[in-house]
Amino acid sequence: HSFSLTLIDALDTLLILGNVSEFQRVVNVLQEGVDFDIDVNASVFETNIRVVGGLLSAHLLSKKAGVEVEVGWPCSGPLLRMAEEAARKLLPAFQTPTGMPYGTVNLLHGVNPGETPVTCTAGIGTFIVEFATLSHLTGDPVFEDVARKALKALWKNRSDIGLVGNHIDVITAKWVAQDAGIGAGVDSYFEYLVKGAILLQDKELMSMFLEYNKAIKNYTKFDDWYLWVQMYKGTVSMPVFQSLEAYWPGLQSLIGDVDNAMRTFLNYYTVWKQFGGLPEFYNIPQGYTVEKREGYPLRPELIESAMYLYRATRDPTLLELGRDAVESIEKISKVDCGFATIKDLRDHRLDNRMESFFLAETVKYLYLLFDPDNFIHNDGSVFDVVVTPYGECILNAGGYIFNTEAHPIDPAALHCCRKQKEEQWEVEDLMREFYSLKRNKKFTLKRASDHGEGESVQDSVDASSENGREKRNSKKNAHSLLSCPSQSFNSKLAVLGQVFLDNT
Amino acid sequence: MKRWKRKQDWGRSRAKDVTRPAKLPVNFFSTRSPVIDLFRGQLDYADHLRQDSEIVLYFFYAPWCGQSIAAREEIEHVASRLSDQVLFVAVNCWWNQGKCRKQKHFFYFPVIHFYHRSFGPIEYKGPMSAVYIEKFVRRVMTPLLYISSRSKLLDFLSNYEPGVLGYFEFNASPQPPGYLTFFTSALHSLKKDYLGTIRFGVITDKHVAEEISLVHSGSVYLHRHVNTSLIYPNDIMNYTAENICKWALENREMLIRWLRPHGGKSLLLNNELKKGPALLIFIPYNPLAEIHPLLDEITKVALEYHSCNKSQAAEPVLQHLGDVDSPAFDSPVPDVHTELSETFSITKYPCCNTVVLPQWHSISRTHNVCELCINQTFGVKPNKVNVPHCNFLEIEAALDSFYLQEHTFFQVISNTIECSNFLSFYSPFSYYTACCRTVNRHFLSFISSEKTIFQTPKVAFSSHGKKDKDDTQNSIPHIEDRNCFIPDLHDNGTNITGLSCRTNKTLNLYLLDSNLFWIYAERLGASRSTHLKEFAAIVDLKEEVHYVLDQNQSLTGSTLENFIKNFSILYSPLKRHLVDDPSVHFHAQRIITEVTTNTFHDTVFSNEKNVLLLYYAQWCGFCASLNHIFIQLARLLPPDNFTVARIDITRNDLPWEFMTDRLPTILFFPHQRKEQSVKFPEDFPVNLPNLLKFILHYSSLSSSDHCTKECLHKETVLQQGHISHLEREIQKLRSEISALHQAHDKLEEQLSKARREEQRLQQQKHTLEKQHKTLQLHSEQLQSTYDQKNQELLAMAEKLQELADASENLLKENTLLRILVASKEGKLQLKDKAKEPVQSEQTLSDDNDVSVSTAATTLGEKRIDNIDTIETEHSSENRTG
Repeated sequence: HSFSLTLIDALDTLLILGNVSEFQRVVNVLQEGVDFDIDVNASVFETNIRVVGGLLSAHLLSKKAGVEVEVGWPCSGPLLRMAEEAARKLLPAFQTPTGMPYGTVNLLHGVNPGETPVTCTAGIGTFIVEFATLSHLTGDPVFEDVARKALKALWKNRSDIGLVGNHIDVITAKWVAQDAGIGAGVDSYFEYLVKGAILLQDKELMSMFLEYNKAIKNYTKFDDWYLWVQMYKGTVSMPVFQSLEAYWPGLQSLIGDVDNAMRTFLNYYTVWKQFGGLPEFYNIPQGYTVEKREGYPLRPELIESAMYLYRATRDPTLLELGRDAVESIEKISKVDCGFATIKDLRDHRLDNRMESFFLAETVKYLYLLFDPDNFIHNDGSVFDVVVTPYGECILNAGGYIFNTEAHPIDPAALHCCRKQKEEQWEVEDLMREFYSLKRNKKFTLKRASDHGEGESVQDSVDASSENGREKRNSKKNAHSLLSCPSQSFNSKLAVLGQVFLDNT
Repeated sequence: MKRWKRKQDWGRSRAKDVTRPAKLPVNFFSTRSPVIDLFRGQLDYADHLRQDSEIVLYFFYAPWCGQSIAAREEIEHVASRLSDQVLFVAVNCWWNQGKCRKQKHFFYFPVIHFYHRSFGPIEYKGPMSAVYIEKFVRRVMTPLLYISSRSKLLDFLSNYEPGVLGYFEFNASPQPPGYLTFFTSALHSLKKDYLGTIRFGVITDKHVAEEISLVHSGSVYLHRHVNTSLIYPNDIMNYTAENICKWALENREMLIRWLRPHGGKSLLLNNELKKGPALLIFIPYNPLAEIHPLLDEITKVALEYHSCNKSQAAEPVLQHLGDVDSPAFDSPVPDVHTELSETFSITKYPCCNTVVLPQWHSISRTHNVCELCINQTFGVKPNKVNVPHCNFLEIEAALDSFYLQEHTFFQVISNTIECSNFLSFYSPFSYYTACCRTVNRHFLSFISSEKTIFQTPKVAFSSHGKKDKDDTQNSIPHIEDRNCFIPDLHDNGTNITGLSCRTNKTLNLYLLDSNLFWIYAERLGASRSTHLKEFAAIVDLKEEVHYVLDQNQSLTGSTLENFIKNFSILYSPLKRHLVDDPSVHFHAQRIITEVTTNTFHDTVFSNEKNVLLLYYAQWCGFCASLNHIFIQLARLLPPDNFTVARIDITRNDLPWEFMTDRLPTILFFPHQRKEQSVKFPEDFPVNLPNLLKFILHYSSLSSSDHCTKECLHKETVLQQGHISHLEREIQKLRSEISALHQAHDKLEEQLSKARREEQRLQQQKHTLEKQHKTLQLHSEQLQSTYDQKNQELLAMAEKLQELADASENLLKENTLLRILVASKEGKLQLKDKAKEPVQSEQTLSDDNDVSVSTAATTLGEKRIDNIDTIETEHSSENRTG
């Protein structure tokens, strides 16, 4: 493709691996040779997570990589403009009656006449991280708005028991594939609810996720495995584990459910030990691969989870998985010009291809698992100060949110551009108070957050879930949705495979 | 679906089904290795090899598997030591063309199987470390120990691990009835009990057998220390290998248990720790070592702790035998005791104290550790000794004498133990024995796993007879130095013997090998700097607390006893241990103060400032994304009055009252009222204005009602702070302004560029307009020419029409003429017969005819030229038709 997909996708990997000069070279190449005005049908989802996400993260990291940035950075810059341009090409897909986007769009002509209206759930709900970042950096709210609208449409169309299916018709809002699970077709929707909530400090997104999480635990979880069920009845439709589902423990650890995450991770690890990789489908009762789904294209998900969990537990078992992954990749998939997809895990036959996510994700997460001192793991003890025309801001203080293609976004950058002047004045006024001896004012905290509509939508979320079940009670509201539980006492000993059951 | 769709949309065109088979298997072990490597998975050949050796170890591996690769070295190490007795065969059980893969279905690699002749497979499930594997191999090689003498019997029975003994009379036949079954049951137990904690022995001597009341050949005996030992009930259960094994497993005593998590998902700790409070003892353990002095000490404590049942009637002989390693009873039978002591020449030093000498050279990182014992037996016949009661005064006197001579012990620098006897300072009749060793921290860490240092010295100790402290009632807690005597617990009446039954806080005792599982010790707060990997902790899962044995004390039987006692008594002096993060170092220049368990109090309470404390965890997404806000806050707040601090609560325990169950949590400790901490309300968004308001609301500076000098001073300080803050602000604004200027310049540049562009465009427009005009002119001209031509054409057409009309007239005339001519001819013919002159007129009419046809031809040509003129066409058609 003429927009240098693998190049954009692997760009920030270069920096994380410490290859600054190559990063700079690639940025120059991209600035000269990328053109999105081409007559190509592109997946809206893939273009977003790889191109928009890749460019945004490269833009935000470019200063760190020693690229000379322009004055307005991070609120302007060539890579940001490219990301915006690419994202604008995707906007026509969102013009549907439901607000849920088409799956494919022509970069030059928009949605093709006769385009299928069936889109997978992940293809609808995987925009908020990139699009909200884009809106915050450029000041144009259109991106965040369409992403939110699509998320809300999915939420509105969940089943009575609180699950979503696999594919939906974006015109009629009818579910075309009604398998509910956490893997293929749905995965990054749940991921983006959590990551969006963290990135935007958004209670509404988090409460959506927590409701889904409850339904997922109720209907799909068996013995720390997650199966596929019918979205309306909750009956098991496929007792399989999919390679793509292995992101789930990592996501759980981000919100503090470390015990459950580790238990599920250990299940998945046994599958790896059986084959030296994770088959696309693994039949849990039979303990073997599923016909036609025996491949392992060097996917990153299990390694990604290991990286997150290692942050939380420092359990050597996680490094052991890393070692196993390195051995497998080296011993099985290494060929003259790269690392080949494993076509069949039963005999380790190789396919004549290397996926773009291998460089963008697998290599990155594997490296980060073994490099606790990488800047990505910064715990906030170091940071950069940048002066922009909008004021001073703090950047690179850690807490990077990875999009679903492993492109890190600095959450601090979202507070850098187009900051409301009122907040600055307010802070200035408050600071004056600190230096006066007399306190004459009463200080009341403001409830409304950056996102003005947040609170009202929160209420509607509550209302809609209440008419089904009235379990939601004050207990839930006792703590902020945007927080993690602190770890239990027994987590001290929950290493080297030891797991503890809840006392309840 | 997420990434399958990816393939369709993004895949480059490629030949379908271009695949490459996996690489062919190659050698996994080097060819020089003592391990036979069947890397093509030749299982049939592997089976064939089994005939060659009594003991075979099969190592089933997958070449890509990290665990197999890691275990390879260990296996090689074991093989290099035992290859003359055991056949080591490695089989690649992954290659799909190989027999092994076709016949076996493994869920993990490597898998280790043993065969003892035809018996097998015995799967090894223990740790993948050479010493453990070798130990297991040796157990498979000799599943039974031969007990030929009484001393061997005592050795066997004194072991902490459960023991099963069979008595077989070999005089009658080389293979007495039942022996083979017993032998097989020993092998069988290795299958079930891969840790090999049940030991099997066979007694061949009648008299030895009588010691444990075995009379009949073929009887099987399970030795128990605390409870009554058992004899296999032949009459109730069938005498089979499985049954014996099952019986032994079910009835064995588990006074102290090894915990060896296998690394996979397991509920081992969950299940054990939920039984109640647990004492976890971490010691470096070498399964191959001949003796384990520390382990012996620990098991003795365990034994005493569990010795509740004191009825001696059941098996008096056994009880006496048990006396050797179990505690003395309330009413010991003196003569039997003496007899046994004599038999086994066990002398006792009941009163001992460990003394750690201060460092002689502060540079050298060594300590001399001495075991000081009151030696009342020196020069006296050992068998005359009765159990002496050592008292506090005696040991104090001994210490005094010791310290007087301590300089001699300072000089001892030795890796082994050196003992010397010296006279009491006070009494010429008392001797003391001091055995000292030098503990070099670096050296220790290096070799501690081998335990060599501890093996040799302990032998030295025992040769001096200090093997047992028979009566722990008399033991005095070890002291660390002369200033610090731990109160003698003997005085408060607590006794370890049978304590497990007397307390309502019964402990389960567990051992962990710190060579393998030190991580658990670290999690419980074992100091990371220590090189001696010995550690003990009591974990109470239900109460969510744990206690740690003072790490400044060495781990010995008596320190353990005290630890247990202190846990058990009503008002326990033990304090909940708080684990802190040793990796955090204090950075004064950090803008946010990083607090740990140890610095918590100092930072928060012993601090004159207002403190804002953030509880966080690095893994919690909601915490990490707020980093920038707290950094901003810390940069804004006047540093003289405020501290912004944070604590990673997953790595640092705090007293209960400061714990929190959600993260992030923000607490504010106003200065002067530190006890009145307040929590940032959870339902408000965490942002800069809210945090500032929160702090302002709760941090009241002193009121300015009566303004004294002090207050004025305060105000000055405050104003200075304000000034510096404003200066910072100005600085910030300046840089902002410069940024704005730059941005402005850039915009200006862009604007001028745009203007230039506009100008250029305007010029272009002008030229284009000009061109447009000329073009317009041109087109007008063309239009006029076109019109002109059109008119000309029309004129032409008219003319043609005229011509056509004319020719039509001519034609008419012609026909008329013809008719005329014809009539004339008729007339002429009539007249011809009479008149001649009429002929000339006919020639003239012929001439006329020719000229008409010429006109018609020219007309036809014209028609070709003027196709568009339909009328003309029609007319010409008429003409031709």
